Amino acid sequence: MSTFSLIFAIVLPLLGGIVLAASPALNQERKTRNIFVCAILVIELLFCAMAAIFSDGKIVLLFRFSEALPIALKADSLSLIFSNVMAWMWCISGFLSFEYMSHEKNEREYYAFYLLTLSSLIALSFSATLVTMYLFFEAVTFLSLAFVLHTRSKEAIASGIKYLIYSIAGATMGLLAIFFLARNTSTPYFVLGGALNANLSVSSDTLLKILFISIIGFSTKAGMFPMHGWLPSAHPVAPAPASAVLSGVITKAGVLCVIRLIYYSVGPNFLRSTWVQAALISLSLITIFMGSVMALNEKLMKKRLAYSSVSQLSYILCGIFLMDASAVEGSFLHLVYHAIIKNGLFLCAGVIIYKTGIKSVDEYKGLGKRMPFVMTCFTILSLGLIGIPPTGGFVSKWYIAEGALIHPHFEVFTWLVPVILLISALLTAAYLLPPSIHAFFYSGDTQLCDLRCRKNIYIALPLTLLSVAIVVFGIIPTPFIRVFESLAKLMN
Amino acid sequence: MLIFTILTPVVLGAFIPFIRFKDRKQMNMYSLLSSILTSLLVFWLVFVSAPSEKLTLFHITAALPISFGIDGLGKLFLLIISVLWPLTTLYAGYYMEHYEKQKLFFCFFTICYGISLGIASSANLITLYMFYELLTLITLPLVMHDGKPTSIKAGLRYMYFSLGGTALAFIGLMYIISYSPDMQDFIYGGIFTWLAPSNSLRFAYLLFFLGFGVKAAVFPMHSWLPMASVAPTPVTALLHAVAVVKSGVFAIMRITWYIFGVGLIEKSFAQYIPLLLAAFTIVYGSILSVKEQNIKRRLAYSTVSNLSYIVLSVLLLNVQGFFGAMQHMVYHALMKISLFMASGVYLLHGASNIRQIKGAAKSMPFTSAAFMLCALAIAGIPPLLGFQSKWTIGLASLSLPAPYPVIAVISLLISAILTCIYLVVPAFNMYFGKPSEGIELHEKDMRALAPIVFIAALALVISLAPQSINGFLSQIANGTM
Repeated sequence: MSTFSLIFAIVLPLLGGIVLAASPALNQERKTRNIFVCAILVIELLFCAMAAIFSDGKIVLLFRFSEALPIALKADSLSLIFSNVMAWMWCISGFLSFEYMSHEKNEREYYAFYLLTLSSLIALSFSATLVTMYLFFEAVTFLSLAFVLHTRSKEAIASGIKYLIYSIAGATMGLLAIFFLARNTSTPYFVLGGALNANLSVSSDTLLKILFISIIGFSTKAGMFPMHGWLPSAHPVAPAPASAVLSGVITKAGVLCVIRLIYYSVGPNFLRSTWVQAALISLSLITIFMGSVMALNEKLMKKRLAYSSVSQLSYILCGIFLMDASAVEGSFLHLVYHAIIKNGLFLCAGVIIYKTGIKSVDEYKGLGKRMPFVMTCFTILSLGLIGIPPTGGFVSKWYIAEGALIHPHFEVFTWLVPVILLISALLTAAYLLPPSIHAFFYSGDTQLCDLRCRKNIYIALPLTLLSVAIVVFGIIPTPFIRVFESLAKLMN
Repeated sequence: MLIFTILTPVVLGAFIPFIRFKDRKQMNMYSLLSSILTSLLVFWLVFVSAPSEKLTLFHITAALPISFGIDGLGKLFLLIISVLWPLTTLYAGYYMEHYEKQKLFFCFFTICYGISLGIASSANLITLYMFYELLTLITLPLVMHDGKPTSIKAGLRYMYFSLGGTALAFIGLMYIISYSPDMQDFIYGGIFTWLAPSNSLRFAYLLFFLGFGVKAAVFPMHSWLPMASVAPTPVTALLHAVAVVKSGVFAIMRITWYIFGVGLIEKSFAQYIPLLLAAFTIVYGSILSVKEQNIKRRLAYSTVSNLSYIVLSVLLLNVQGFFGAMQHMVYHALMKISLFMASGVYLLHGASNIRQIKGAAKSMPFTSAAFMLCALAIAGIPPLLGFQSKWTIGLASLSLPAPYPVIAVISLLISAILTCIYLVVPAFNMYFGKPSEGIELHEKDMRALAPIVFIAALALVISLAPQSINGFLSQIANGTM
């Protein structure tokens, strides 16, 4: 049963995407296509849930490149967390696409790639070896490129190329460690705590340098400094629901690869309290700060949100680099919360563009009267991102900060991490709340027309779900915490 | 029951935008009744059946429970809020008549009541922190109610300051957790009695002080308060003289007496830096107040100064000082809310400048009498309220090592003289000055007059019979309640 649901979770969207691209019958009417896509996304949720329920941890061998290079899948708790989060976010964004994309060209292409990308992401999260992971990592890059290029504008193509170059460079840097680890691990499969041999073929110093380069490489997808340049230009040019998944979900692929590399291949003990750890934490802190500052300077809403992703993803990476149970737990929580929040924020920004054409933050004045529902969701989600209790963001930051405080491998980070987190939280408030405030408290004249977002189920349902989720999961994070805590403890 | 009480105004307030009221009167009546209902519930809780054990609502994580409980200090704050809230709601019905978007105003105003009750009845630091953040957010729409650029600017500044403050407090919170992972409940005398004083804990205290000091408007974090006086007068009166700023002071009392404990902070930089800041703020606030011509801003600066009386008194770190702090907390709440309400009445008639209220006593005898009484009381003319609390604070400061008693007493005295200049002089001008032309004052509306006179009368009664509340306060200060 486990194997079945696992394979199907990957094959279903893959087939769906191919069928959608190939079959003209499906594309004659928008309604038929929407039902088809919607059905696949919902069934996908089911399969991912089934994979979680029936998971038995067996390895599913697909084929072998060579004796030492099996391409295999496995459903362990980490992959189940990622795949379920991804499937949910994909479904919610997909639902809003039905409304949003009706005004865009090339819908057929969009939906086909939407499903194909999901397939590659799910496969990525179920990967059981480094090589499998690398394979699907590249697949995600190429398939999601379609979103960035969607509008075919000059800007889109330029960003697409930037995205491609950065991602390939990142993946290649990642490949470096995969080569060396193939020689130096006892098994090609992922093992908790790592499977590094006692006798290394290279000096441990060299291996550290290699790992440093590779981790930076994989972090490219998560937009960590110095490989962040592509993210703010690539995410905003896509259609809004695609930007939402690019920023909220696909970036997490980078996080997954980093976790797999550190915790499942090398083992955290090899890296703990080395210069690599210090350097990585420093890089992530720089990114957190820099991303927030750049978001503050940005006037275009979608770009601002993209910079905010740069900053927020480094919260997650920072927690992972701290290599401490509660910090890692915080990272998992933040991963879930950030997926919900950033998805929601991009969707809100998208709906605003779709309904009014407003892109710049300056034009948000008085928008609260015209679209009260959307702006309310926007505000609730913003509060979550800032981390104001009782919304979700508070809990996750709490754990990351706690992890930094309690188990310091480096004295300086005990205070530096919480301080940077807080400064960034303030900056987050500074770049997200003023748009809301100007939207609601603008006394000048605004066109008093109701844009009827609340009545449109394609808009209302996803936004309501996400806003309610961030508050409810903030008040009752216990179900997540139970899963994440046990996993984080095992990992460290 | 306790949670029900907190939820009552939140729920009733949240309903306001969705109820179709026939007219404005009906809505005012609804919000007034909801606040009276809540206050009755609070009285019942405080006087009849205070829950003796703390109630845990839910756990954010195992180490972070959201729990409520009522102890002595909590009772005091609950009482201050619940007495003043219905009165201000009544006043708001009068004042807000000429404003737009009243439904939203009363919605947030009523919800805010619940949040303040939450602060008062928090049983541990994390709950307090949560409600503290919520208070910032929920009062933001009230400050920016009229949507003018100055209001929005004021609101933004208020938000940045408050969020910045809570960020500092958050770091402090992390420190506390790392020392005592599952003990953040408030206990009289502190939770760190088993620890030898260490500088890093003192540093954590300092972070907390600076963090919560934002709402208590301690220099250099004070500048949001005078700016925020652009808000509608009921907000300035209740929130910026009582609920919001007093919750800052309340939080400082909590961390000083119920978390860190006297032994830890005493005779170290963690005591002296805040003490000097508070002493400086007392004088500085008064000076700015003298320079200010706008009535509401002048009163706001006076609040800055007076809040630091309370903070200073808490930081004397002896029982008498704590007692004096609570005394001034109650007294200042009564005096300042009445002053603000009176100034709101003048403002509605077009008198926003301090010169324009000259001669007002002829047309508004009762309001002006209340203004006069409270001005005298704040200046500390014996036997009125302000004198008693300042006397206690002055006496309590004597037990400090030199030169701190001198600094404390001198700052109190300078501020008293300045208070006379900025409040008592205008009050006398109301009686003996020539009325300025073009402004017609009257006080026909009972919804404004009743709360002002009632609160002023209450202040007078307490001045003449201070033992009515002193027993209660000293029990709290000694930790026997």
